[in-house]
Amino acid sequence: MIAVAAGPNRIDPYLIPALDGVAYGLLVFVAASGLVFCFGVANILNLAHGLLYAIGGYTAAAVLDGGWASLALALAVGVLAAAAAGALLAGLLTPVATGNHLSQALLTFGVALAGGSLLVAGFGPDDPQVRVPAALEGSVMVAGHRYAAYRLVFIVVAAVLAVALYLVVRRTRAGMLVRAAVDDPEMVACLGVSPARIRAGVLAAAGALAGAAGVLGAPIIGPGTDTADTVLLLSLVVVVLGGLGSMAGTLLAALAIGEIQTLGVALLPSAAPFLLFAAMAAVLAVRARGLAGRWRTT
Amino acid sequence: MPLTTPWRSRALTAALLATVLTTSTACGDDAPGTSAGGSIKIGLLASLSGTYQAVGTEIRDGFQLYLDTHDGKLGGRQVDLVVADEGNGAQTAVPAATKLLKQDRVSALTGIVGGGSVAGVTPVLNETKVPLVGSNGRPELKDVSRIWHTSYLSDEPGAAIAQHVRDNVKGSVYAIGPDYQGGWDELRGFTDAFDKIGGKLANPDGKTTFTPFPATTNFLPYFARIKASGAAAVYTFYAGSAAVDFVKQYAQSEIKDIPLYAAGFLTEGGVLNAQGEAARDIYSVLNYSPDLDNAENRAFVAAWKAKHDGSPTTYALASYDAAAVLDRAIGAAGSDPTPEAINTAIGQLGQIASPRGTWQFSTTTHSPVQKWYLRQVRQDGRALSNTVVGDLATVGR
Repeated sequence: MIAVAAGPNRIDPYLIPALDGVAYGLLVFVAASGLVFCFGVANILNLAHGLLYAIGGYTAAAVLDGGWASLALALAVGVLAAAAAGALLAGLLTPVATGNHLSQALLTFGVALAGGSLLVAGFGPDDPQVRVPAALEGSVMVAGHRYAAYRLVFIVVAAVLAVALYLVVRRTRAGMLVRAAVDDPEMVACLGVSPARIRAGVLAAAGALAGAAGVLGAPIIGPGTDTADTVLLLSLVVVVLGGLGSMAGTLLAALAIGEIQTLGVALLPSAAPFLLFAAMAAVLAVRARGLAGRWRTT
Repeated sequence: MPLTTPWRSRALTAALLATVLTTSTACGDDAPGTSAGGSIKIGLLASLSGTYQAVGTEIRDGFQLYLDTHDGKLGGRQVDLVVADEGNGAQTAVPAATKLLKQDRVSALTGIVGGGSVAGVTPVLNETKVPLVGSNGRPELKDVSRIWHTSYLSDEPGAAIAQHVRDNVKGSVYAIGPDYQGGWDELRGFTDAFDKIGGKLANPDGKTTFTPFPATTNFLPYFARIKASGAAAVYTFYAGSAAVDFVKQYAQSEIKDIPLYAAGFLTEGGVLNAQGEAARDIYSVLNYSPDLDNAENRAFVAAWKAKHDGSPTTYALASYDAAAVLDRAIGAAGSDPTPEAINTAIGQLGQIASPRGTWQFSTTTHSPVQKWYLRQVRQDGRALSNTVVGDLATVGR
């Protein structure tokens, strides 16, 4: 097969990695936005966030059978299961004082370990295989290059999710309450909205987002014994790079991670093992508050 | 839990403890491994949990199949097989092996999936002077006087296929593999032999590209580089879930039409089912294929299929052969098959008939001198399977 170069030859080989970086970045965005919400809004450091993604991933592996109906079913089951797990976490966290990050970290880390063991006990130690709908299993031509059809569709779906998330936060009453809770939690409490309810709602919503990312992203970051750790690590890097409470910052950080992990690896394969963390250290050295500023000045 | 345990449960604990102690003392009184009834104790150590569970299970089942088809006897003696779990590596393997060697006092040890586990167990073997007939992992070892392997050395698959790739690929070859000891050995085997016969690597710096392991799950950035290098073929080695990711993404990538050659583990056993259509046409090199046409293999495959779903893998075969080696060595060790006598007998076995074809132990490495086969993933009835398309070199040193 001879590909017709779409641009100058120096750039052409890196088109696909750059495109793939967008897919990877959007996946990291959807997966990490839940953690950013938890941390930024409810002030909860949820180290079990990777587990919520893994629940979605394992659901996808168990339910998907190559048909469209199973994809819808997997999405529904994965989102509900992960949201329920998030709500359960909120319940477990009730006795822990808000803002006591050490206790929260210990509790949620324990839950992550126990939940991870339960998933392995239930689904086996091997990485389960994910079967996407047959129509998406092939590849398509993009500017003279072959690219996996599923990942191309995923970019569209994840972009829609990101826009929907933005609209919910900016335009709905729930979104307003959440933003108000970031700005002035005492005032929100005075208005008669229980912070505990906001916390439970935020954790459940974070779970739903992670669950959706887990189901849709299963063919990209697949379910396995170390999936939860991988996703938690990437999400924490997003928090460090993107700051808290700004969706633009989160999106920017996630896309940066995506490009570093794909385009960066294509450009500098020998640096692949430490590229992500070198980039993180560089950003922190230059700009300690991450890529974007916060809404809240503390 | 209450601070004071009720008297009855304390009594029960004491009784249990006493029973355990009595039993272990009784074991300690036995002569090592053999007993008056003409039976012999063999220890099998394999990963029955963790990452390598699939391989460990095949190894256990391969050995058990030999026993089942030979009246449960090796060398005319009834076998008391003690199975222990190797877990994920040396950390769990060494305590398990120590129990087999010191408490159960087995006459010989077999199995062991990981090379690191073998390295960890070696000092205990030397201390107890018990031979190991390993059926998979084989690290670099200084002293192999009591260590034998029915598998292969990690650099042999690549060395065996190099000439075929040189003859059939018109152009340079891109070498890529996982960044750990096993990956280095597998790829070095290929690149050294390929370089010696005048082959040219397509990698920009002339060196193999190694991907972080096990962190790499997305191979697209590397595929872009392979595409840009203008390679006429790719040689690789991955196993387990990395093999599934690599093959599935390769089939959907812009280099899907570049021929892919690999060490056989890329498409061996369970990973082939997971790869499905994406694995079609991949060439691989291995010391065994279930469709080999010889009498031993037909009997082996038929016996295997009677008990298990699917075809036997090279892992099951190596363990089956380990049982065959022990069978002949125990028989040759005379009326008192001590571990020492068994070890000496293994060294004098000569040619060993096997489902993979006849092979023998190398006198220097104690691993097989054996023929390697070129296989291609093709349709076989309803499923895809590795089909032998030719003989490659006989390798061993």
